[in-house]
Amino acid sequence: MGLVEIATGKVLSSFSVFLFLTILLLVVARRISTAILLFSAQSAIITAEVLATGFRERLAEAYVVGALVFLIKVVLIPRAFFRLVDRLKTPRDVKASTTPTQSVFIAAAMIYLSYAAVHSYGQSVRVPEDALAAAVALILTGAFLMVSRNKALMQMLGLLVLENGIYLAALTTTYGMPLVIEIGIFFDILIGLLLMGIFTFRIRDTFDHLDVSKLRRLRG
Amino acid sequence: MIVVVTASTGFAFLVGWELMTLVSAGLILMEGDSTERRHNVFIYLMMMHAGAAAVVASFFLFLPYSHSLDFASIRTASASMPAGIRTLIFLLAFVGFGTKAGIIPLHLWLPRAHPIAPSPVSALMSGVMLKTAVYGFVRFAFDFLGGGPSWSGYVVLLAGAVSGLLGVLYAIAEHDLKRLLAYHSVENIGIIYLGLGTSLVFLAHQAPVLAALALIAALLHTFNHALFKSLLFLGAGAISNATHTVDLEELGGLQRRMPVTGATFLIACCSIVGLPLFNGFISEWLTFRSFLAGSLLTNTKAQIVLPLMVGVLALIGGLAAACFVKVFGVAFLGRPHSKEAEHAEEAPLAMRAGMGLLAAACLWIGILPGFFLRPLASLAQVLVPGAGVPEETLSIARIIPWVAVFVLGVGGAAALLKHRRKMVRTWACGLPELSSRMQYTSTAFSKPIRFVFSTVYKPDRKVESLPADQPYFPATISYRSVRTTSYEKALYRPFVDLILSAAHQLRRMQTGNIQVYLLYIFLTLVSLLMFLRFQG
Amino acid sequence: MITAINFFQALIIILGAPLVRGIIAQFKARLQRRQGASIWRPYADLAKLFRKEDIVPPTASWVFRFAPIVLFGATVSVAAFVPVVQPSALLASRGDFFLLVYLLALGRFFLSLGALDGGSAFGGMGASREALVSSLAEAPFLLGLAAVAILAAHADIAGIVVWTLRQNVFNISGVHILAFISLAMVTVAETGRMPVDNPTTHLELTMIHEGMVLEYSGPSLALIEWASAVKLHAMLALLIALFDPWGMASSLSGLGIGAALLLYCAKAALFVIVLAVIESGMAKLRMYLVPDFLGVASALSALAVIFTVLAKR
Repeated sequence: MGLVEIATGKVLSSFSVFLFLTILLLVVARRISTAILLFSAQSAIITAEVLATGFRERLAEAYVVGALVFLIKVVLIPRAFFRLVDRLKTPRDVKASTTPTQSVFIAAAMIYLSYAAVHSYGQSVRVPEDALAAAVALILTGAFLMVSRNKALMQMLGLLVLENGIYLAALTTTYGMPLVIEIGIFFDILIGLLLMGIFTFRIRDTFDHLDVSKLRRLRG
Repeated sequence: MIVVVTASTGFAFLVGWELMTLVSAGLILMEGDSTERRHNVFIYLMMMHAGAAAVVASFFLFLPYSHSLDFASIRTASASMPAGIRTLIFLLAFVGFGTKAGIIPLHLWLPRAHPIAPSPVSALMSGVMLKTAVYGFVRFAFDFLGGGPSWSGYVVLLAGAVSGLLGVLYAIAEHDLKRLLAYHSVENIGIIYLGLGTSLVFLAHQAPVLAALALIAALLHTFNHALFKSLLFLGAGAISNATHTVDLEELGGLQRRMPVTGATFLIACCSIVGLPLFNGFISEWLTFRSFLAGSLLTNTKAQIVLPLMVGVLALIGGLAAACFVKVFGVAFLGRPHSKEAEHAEEAPLAMRAGMGLLAAACLWIGILPGFFLRPLASLAQVLVPGAGVPEETLSIARIIPWVAVFVLGVGGAAALLKHRRKMVRTWACGLPELSSRMQYTSTAFSKPIRFVFSTVYKPDRKVESLPADQPYFPATISYRSVRTTSYEKALYRPFVDLILSAAHQLRRMQTGNIQVYLLYIFLTLVSLLMFLRFQG
Repeated sequence: MITAINFFQALIIILGAPLVRGIIAQFKARLQRRQGASIWRPYADLAKLFRKEDIVPPTASWVFRFAPIVLFGATVSVAAFVPVVQPSALLASRGDFFLLVYLLALGRFFLSLGALDGGSAFGGMGASREALVSSLAEAPFLLGLAAVAILAAHADIAGIVVWTLRQNVFNISGVHILAFISLAMVTVAETGRMPVDNPTTHLELTMIHEGMVLEYSGPSLALIEWASAVKLHAMLALLIALFDPWGMASSLSGLGIGAALLLYCAKAALFVIVLAVIESGMAKLRMYLVPDFLGVASALSALAVIFTVLAKR
């Protein structure tokens, strides 16, 4: 019993460090497959946080949600992504418009910024500052990935990272949402992913590549 | 220059300051004059006077409160002055002395004045004249104003970081030895300002002991820089006497021709790079430790910014090491790149003695720093009231001799090991003979670093291969790469334009008619009298 | 007594250094399904080189002969900084990490000069590349160490180790993770291991360290090779001492020291194996990707420094 409690506290207090690590690795990842694996690892960490929150707040439905998160974000979405990469037969690099050094410095600045932004809020409300900062940093990173990567696939991934951030923020501020809302969110993600997948195929079929920076030609 | 340092009233200080500028300008012109030379001296004079104007203005701002330019009365008056005036004085002094010290972007005159000045003059200018500017700034910021708000410290810190990094990056790209050394003056002033800025930050956060530590670091680096930079310029002078050039691409192999110059130059290189057992290390180490001590403050900003400066100074140090490997390696080692370098003669005895003395001083401070740190610590206690002797100054004095014993002992033991030696020509990959053209040149050596930092240099490259109709079998290839100084143009162009247009307006007053000139004098006299009348 | 043990520790690092190299080479060979040379081979190499004559180019000056000696002296002094079996070392009580890093720089400075004195194009090429790598590696190296030092509130290495020993093993802090990653990257770059420099290559397009030592032979080469082995071992021991010192002897009993020594060997072996796996699994980075590698290390170490403040709040 004692061990589980210690582990729970540990997950909630220090797992945001690993989230930061995934952020830093995501921005330097040079291959799409690495980025997908990192996303999967990130989602696994969030699953752990969901379960830990559920254990501490004694919410039975949190375990259901945790299982759902694990199933969808750790297993299903990465697998769908890998299949997409396979089917699209696109070169495996991410086509970044910033060098790795710049990316990491930007990511470091974003992490600092999220701490600074969360600081005043964290003092007034009883929320773990690290986790909330990690959530904000995830949102920023997702947006950054979408802005700075030219591959359409990476923009989908950026959106998912961003969504991970929003989910984590909701989790840390509300200590678990009602099950219905959670299921709604997951449904949203799946539909969104489906649409984006279809569009990626359309882009590839029409232009023979996935480089969104070249979509400029569409302008009339 | 001595007048500047010994002056105890503002007036004497200013007179000495102006005299210093004019005399040094004359000294630069000593070795003949040409249009280019005169142009560069003109830039030097103009920037000096703009800086001097700022210094004068900052002195005069004290006047309404102190009623005298006596240093003692300024000191007592400054405490009661309003914050706005104090800020203005600080900024004016920062700009004024910064121009003389050569912090970026006020450094333009340095790389222009040094290459054309005779070497002893360069040594004097870089070794002593820049130091008077640091002295003046320390006088103002610490003695008169007694520190300031923390942002003033960050301003100085930023100026130091920018000067240090850009200075060393520009230096690496140079192959004119004297201009390279001039850029290194910019870099070292940057390091000194990093120490001063840290000290101001500590002072603003009421940490006098740490402020004293940073100040000692800055002052010691000032002194060290005077030693090794004079030594480097004297070495450059010896080279230019022997080979009639200071272009690194024309030198090479000088170590065998000029052993004493080479050895002392090597000591100076190690010192300026900040390698342990040489004097530069002691002051850089103290600066590092004062950055690290920033984490002891309670202010979050200082806790983050100061330790991060460790990285900046480390980058400066690393690049400086790269630069001086290049300087010493290309100029003194390997084979000669030109006929002149092949027939170089050792410097005369007097010069060798002078360089030897400076080199010995570098080693002395580097291995037994305690002797110099003690008087500096007491000086810092005068400038920073309430400061004890920082513990770090004692610990470095204790450990460095042991490290020296260790390195020299192990090295000596290793040196005893070796016995047989055979002279064999370097293998030339099957070619008949290696030539000096196969060696790395200064430009080639710095290429990777220039490539990585190409955003700083914004190089303008041009490759031409002749004959044009056979691109893959060229008879000759010419390659040219020029560093554009775009930001300098962007920064200075508006000023220059403004001054030129103002000068055009003023030209209209200059009619050439002597009676009009007399009228000007008369009008001035009348207006002065009226001013006196209505003021009284 | 404590001095004797400290002396013993320095000897472990200095004399054990060729063994570390031998184990890496052997393990890499096994990973590539080769037999590989014996792990004692580097000792035999050193002995052979020490017996041979020193070949010096006629155009070289005394700097050429002097450089390996300075390199060896400086690197061996670094070994005297690092605690191995108990939390102190010969020079570790007052000497701090700045001194350690700059002693390595002293050795490297002279080795680069020696390379340029050889007079061939390869020496210049190696020195030029080394200048790039080392100038960029210095900042993350110092920042990473500074982050750990700030947490421990000690600048001397012994103090940091003593502080770390008092902490809970499972108390993971972001600072330590970030600093460890960046320092591990720096170690790879500083010691010229795989993604940055290939220690076994002699191809002019890729070599850095080998390019510098190309003109050296006999005892001089032996000193250089030994020094670079000591550097690798000292960096490994430093990483172990800073990030995984648990198990070091707290008292000076023979049993405690013996156990700590065994544990150290196990940890070092683990590090060596990880290094060998990374080396076998990765291709060497293109020369101009190395700055990005080190840039990432710099950003991580800067973040580690920032985290020292954020974690304290």
